[in-house]
Amino acid sequence: MSGHKEGGGRSNGPGGTPSMPVHLRPARDADLPALIPLLLRLKRLNEEFDPLLKVRDDVEPQARQILKADLANPKAVVLAAEGVGAERDKVVGFVRALVRERPFYAPEHEGVILDIYLLPLYRRRGVGEYLLRETSNALKAKGAGIVTAEFPAQNEIANRFYTKRGFRPIIAVQARSL
Amino acid sequence: MTQSSPSRVDPDRAARRNARNVATRTERSEDQTDLLGKRSVELSRYFGGKIETVPKVPVRSLQDFALWYTPGVAAVSRAIQDDPDSSFDLTGRWNMIAIVTDGSRVLGLGDIGPQAALPVMEGKALLFKVLGGVDAIPIPIQVASPEQFIATVEAMAPAFGGINLEDIASPKCFGILEELSKRLSIPVWHDDQLGTAAATVAGLLNALELTHRSVRTVRTVLLGAGAANLVTARLLLALGHPPRQLTLVDQKGILHAEREDLDELELRNPWKYRIALATNGGGRTGDLAAALEGADVLLAASTPKPGTIRPEHVRSMAKDPIVFALANPVPEIWPEVARAAGAAVVATGRSDFPNQVNNSLIFPAVFRGVLDARARSIPDEMVLAAARELARGASRKGLSARHLLPTMEEPEVFPLIAAAVGDTAVRLGIARRKLSHDEFLERARTLMGRPARLVRALARARLTPPMPRRRPPPRGTR
Repeated sequence: MSGHKEGGGRSNGPGGTPSMPVHLRPARDADLPALIPLLLRLKRLNEEFDPLLKVRDDVEPQARQILKADLANPKAVVLAAEGVGAERDKVVGFVRALVRERPFYAPEHEGVILDIYLLPLYRRRGVGEYLLRETSNALKAKGAGIVTAEFPAQNEIANRFYTKRGFRPIIAVQARSL
Repeated sequence: MTQSSPSRVDPDRAARRNARNVATRTERSEDQTDLLGKRSVELSRYFGGKIETVPKVPVRSLQDFALWYTPGVAAVSRAIQDDPDSSFDLTGRWNMIAIVTDGSRVLGLGDIGPQAALPVMEGKALLFKVLGGVDAIPIPIQVASPEQFIATVEAMAPAFGGINLEDIASPKCFGILEELSKRLSIPVWHDDQLGTAAATVAGLLNALELTHRSVRTVRTVLLGAGAANLVTARLLLALGHPPRQLTLVDQKGILHAEREDLDELELRNPWKYRIALATNGGGRTGDLAAALEGADVLLAASTPKPGTIRPEHVRSMAKDPIVFALANPVPEIWPEVARAAGAAVVATGRSDFPNQVNNSLIFPAVFRGVLDARARSIPDEMVLAAARELARGASRKGLSARHLLPTMEEPEVFPLIAAAVGDTAVRLGIARRKLSHDEFLERARTLMGRPARLVRALARARLTPPMPRRRPPPRGTR
């Protein structure tokens, strides 16, 4: 289970316009030190929504391992959001997504957005729209016929963001402690 | 500045001497508070509380009730039914406010609940009457959520010309004030946010004038990010303070856009989150010391503890720094320690030091003003108008490092504040009654002067018993 974080920004033109405070590119191994803290921020935020999303003590090595594996996985999409101008070399956000097979449904492959995170200063101004568009394109290029997003059920901000962009709930995941 | 004279005290020696005095002073102040507390309990029992309702019409005989009550009163009700705003003319609504609390953050006592908050609200009602000529009804409410709080106040609004929220925990106080201001067509005020912030801004404006600075160029550090300081930050930004030169510091250090807890803040305290994104653009991180280096102004409204601000903090600030240590009852740094460390202007929240930043300088006059204008709300422009007028009150009498703000003994400034608030309501188009400046002023002087006469008359007639000597016998009121 993972989540999303993006203030509901309005669309204002394609990515890379002067007003856009970030630039998206495929992540590389060298980005790992910057990506891990961002992934941890997102997971710690998810913990705020539900105690069943309590972050593990070993979350940091876990994050490193998962991100490293995804960077090598041809079915995964990991994009790094860099600042622009003076902040060109600063990673300020990322997207992690995965193409999964749907054995019982058509289309046969879905692209799942597992994590989206942007540092607070880089939100809004249509950045989320830009991230979603670029991610969807990358997933489509890997054969996905639909795009889905996973996030904590209580995350109203993520819920509004996707609903506004034509998403709807198709599978519910409910949980209780054992 | 006065501190740059050759006779300047050696700051380290002063600090050491003061460290010795602090313990004694804290003890003495605690003893004093203890004594006052005992006496306050005795007197509360003796008088059976602090306020009561008093008729404002003649009652010559029971026949008069045919006018004040049924059947005559039915016509008054019908008139209001036809024209709801006439309730401000035909009833006491024009001068009646509710003091509403859930008792979740009372003084320094914390979450003591609505019943225990009642004596504080009664005291506030007394201040409203005596200082502002405002009829205030204390209404502590038992509620389970901010939504229930909002619904309850909305439900009682028809009886009142204004709502004063009091002693509500941060951050829920922000959402409650915002939502009620949106829903109600009468002014809503939360004194712990707006009153304290307005008095602080007033003091700061004068401190800046004294040290020949402008709010548009200074670098300011706010210590504490609770109800008062978040609003102070908002007001400073509205005054043109450069956001990049404004830094908030809380228990976790400098509040900045990339702090670890920012996502949590967006969910739990969006007001603080927004200020975090808007301020400290210079990208400072770290603790109070890191924030203060080279700063012109320190506005501390944090937890009461001397030593929170140390002399070396003040010494690291720009030349002639301005230090407001507003924690009560014990300021974050004692004034003489701050002055010995170079502070050009020092203010506290206490009446026993010069320059008390006190919300009682603001709230009675603000309510006098909004009630006289029958205003629909209290936007920040009004809060700033009140702050500016309070600041002018001190300049008029001669501004100095020891006379930064008027004291409670300079009541002539209060009607001027009320008039400034009324003027602003008219200018913003939110006044139901548009009076001229002189009319607002005259009315405020009359209404604010009346309670003192009333109190004297009641005492002369022995309707208010004289203050008993210590340990009075129980009186048959309860």
